[in-house]
Amino acid sequence: MPPAININNQDDLPGDFAIWIFIFAEMLAFGVLFVAYAFSRAQDVELFNASQLTLSRISGAINTLVLITSSYFVVQGVAAIKRGLNKQCAHWLTGAFILGGVFVVIKMVEFHAKFAADITMSTNNFYMFYLSLTFFHFMHVLMGMVILAMIIMKAKRGGYSTQDYVGVETGASFWHMVDFLWIILFPLVYIIR
Amino acid sequence: MSATFTKSMARNVFYGGGVFFFLLFIALTFDTMKVLPKRDNSQNITPAVEHGKKLWETNNCIGCHTLLGEGAYFAPELGNVYPRRGPDFIKAWIKGQPTGVPGRRQMPQFNLTDAEIDDLVAFLKYASEINTNKWPPNIEG
Amino acid sequence: MKYKSQAVAKLYFIAAIGLFLGQILFGLIMGLQYVVGDFLFPVIPFNVARMVHTNLLIVWLLFGFMGASYYLIPEESETELYSPKLAIITFWIFLVAGAVTVLGYLLVPYASLAKWTGNDLLNTMGREFLEQPLPTKVGIVIVALSWLFNIVMTVLKGRKTAISIVLSLGMLGLAVFFLFSFYNPVNLVKDKFYWWWVVHLWVEGVWELILGAMLAFVLIKVTGVDREVVEKWLYVIITMTLVTGIIGTGHHYFWIGAPAYWQWWGSVFSALEPIPFLMMTIFAFNMVNKRRREHPNKAAVLWALGTSVMAFLGAGLWGFLHTLAPINYYTHGTQLTAAHGHLAFFGAYALVVLTMISYAMPILRGRAANPERAQIMEMWSFWLMTISMFFIALFLTGAGIVQVWLQRMSPTPMSFMAVQDQISIFYWAREGAGLVFLIGLLLYIGSFFVKGESRAFE
Repeated sequence: MPPAININNQDDLPGDFAIWIFIFAEMLAFGVLFVAYAFSRAQDVELFNASQLTLSRISGAINTLVLITSSYFVVQGVAAIKRGLNKQCAHWLTGAFILGGVFVVIKMVEFHAKFAADITMSTNNFYMFYLSLTFFHFMHVLMGMVILAMIIMKAKRGGYSTQDYVGVETGASFWHMVDFLWIILFPLVYIIR
Repeated sequence: MSATFTKSMARNVFYGGGVFFFLLFIALTFDTMKVLPKRDNSQNITPAVEHGKKLWETNNCIGCHTLLGEGAYFAPELGNVYPRRGPDFIKAWIKGQPTGVPGRRQMPQFNLTDAEIDDLVAFLKYASEINTNKWPPNIEG
Repeated sequence: MKYKSQAVAKLYFIAAIGLFLGQILFGLIMGLQYVVGDFLFPVIPFNVARMVHTNLLIVWLLFGFMGASYYLIPEESETELYSPKLAIITFWIFLVAGAVTVLGYLLVPYASLAKWTGNDLLNTMGREFLEQPLPTKVGIVIVALSWLFNIVMTVLKGRKTAISIVLSLGMLGLAVFFLFSFYNPVNLVKDKFYWWWVVHLWVEGVWELILGAMLAFVLIKVTGVDREVVEKWLYVIITMTLVTGIIGTGHHYFWIGAPAYWQWWGSVFSALEPIPFLMMTIFAFNMVNKRRREHPNKAAVLWALGTSVMAFLGAGLWGFLHTLAPINYYTHGTQLTAAHGHLAFFGAYALVVLTMISYAMPILRGRAANPERAQIMEMWSFWLMTISMFFIALFLTGAGIVQVWLQRMSPTPMSFMAVQDQISIFYWAREGAGLVFLIGLLLYIGSFFVKGESRAFE
């Protein structure tokens, strides 16, 4: 912690340090939940394997592609703003925002199917983790979209410049975290047997 | 380490993070309220139970005892006293207080009528049938 | 004192210290009743003493918070308090209501008190910490709103700093979440579920915002470190508090009838709850190390550093000890809970109020710092109270571990009362430590009356 006060010249983490503290906390929470999942699975492998088969791998896989693509768009958006191109930046980020929306819709269809089958967090341990992890992540996607929307609006007003684009990088860092968490979550919960 | 660390961003993260986690908490609460009827034994809440709970509260039982592990830690857990002691023992116990044994912890005499004690026992029976995820570990509470 | 209206804080601080003394005396009565069961029976039964002990704690901390905010908000906002008169009226209402309530606990059987104060209209009494009669509860809401109104109006007409905004938010949360004390459904599970919305979301949520703001204020004043630095760390630390603490409420939902998934949610997030406290400790020491001035009030610096360390130990470490569901299954509702409760409340909240009093009171009395001899006495009282409270927590932890073993883990579990006999040695030791605490507190009060050369303002 203390170095943050002193060393302000090494440029390793893009964006504002405040978001990185938040990102570390989120990664820690997810990390512990992932370990808890693995631990619980080891206690009852058969139940986890059987329940896992009911998940829609296809929608999970599509969502993985959607998020990776959206991250690419965000990278392009940051690249644009580094050249001072507010409009292009807004366009790329709008693309990412729309893909975030696609993710949300697909995820909601998936949740709806589970709820229609009367599956809840109290059904069994596997569904507890599946719903907890994916819903917690789902909320992060929504929050990421809110952040993107705010940056898009500012960029459209020409609010960033080649000198001042930390805000864009900050939002981008959060979005990449959301993407990164899904890339771990998807194989862990949907695929690994 | 990041090149920038601004107060305004720290503030935004605070508001965003606070609202985010509060919404998550609301969502979990919503799910809990939906699941509760399967666990909370509310189908067995009778007027006697309701009156018993009020007696439990207005005599400040929680000031010495725990109920499902919450309260003071001066006197025994009563969430499972119904299966532990049975209704007759509980009634006789409440009537027989205080024991007056020198140096022992004393429970006051609350001057409850027989009907009131029945209601209190009904409340304790109801409480003992809540699904508490198998807590306490054994009958001693 | 830069602003005349800050003077109202003095009343609040004096009341806080007086009630603190009352709290400790009742604590000692209860401690003795743990080993000499019929002590003062039936004049003051244990349940009455406990009600007085815990309610006085809450009330003196609230007095401390209010006094602190009436002191620091004018200075932060660089303007006089919106209405010093309202602050004084609120003070007397709160003090009289508090005194009448405590007298009611002591002099009237609780059931009669309930009947006379309209508990039949709306059942709210008889739940742990929320024992107050309906009129008192309504009074608390009015006092809290009057306080909030006064502070917010002051902030609005003056400079808006992070400290004053965070403090106001904490107060708003305090008032809002207290409203759940009026919700008492017959369904015991729902009753308990929302009871925690007052208790947990206060002490592990919004109160921490107030704590953070108060500590940040004192650190700026005594170290002279740049406000910008202190305030951004304040935001970061309280962000972590909310990130971990809100879902951390789940650690109370393991065994009260709520769904089993709370064991995972509650364990994971509450396991992270020590992080903000650790950050606060590192932050406080960092600021003091980087200080740009030597403040003449050495005692205030000690209290501030003490707060950060003891809050971490009491709330962070002792909380973590028994927060994971598989461990809590055995420790829930034992003396371990009591150990954590004591050290956390003292370390986080009692100490932060004393920090603020230590910093502000000399200034309210017209000097930058107290005379050397008074400060030395104050520092002695800090060490006596802090160390004896640490030992109280250690003894109760010992009692709790033996209790868990004999009553819950042993293949031949003993009954509750049989176990209590086995662990009476811990209770005796706790009572001894409690007496040392009382000596510390008396020394603290005495330090206000020490005369001598005091440092004037530079």
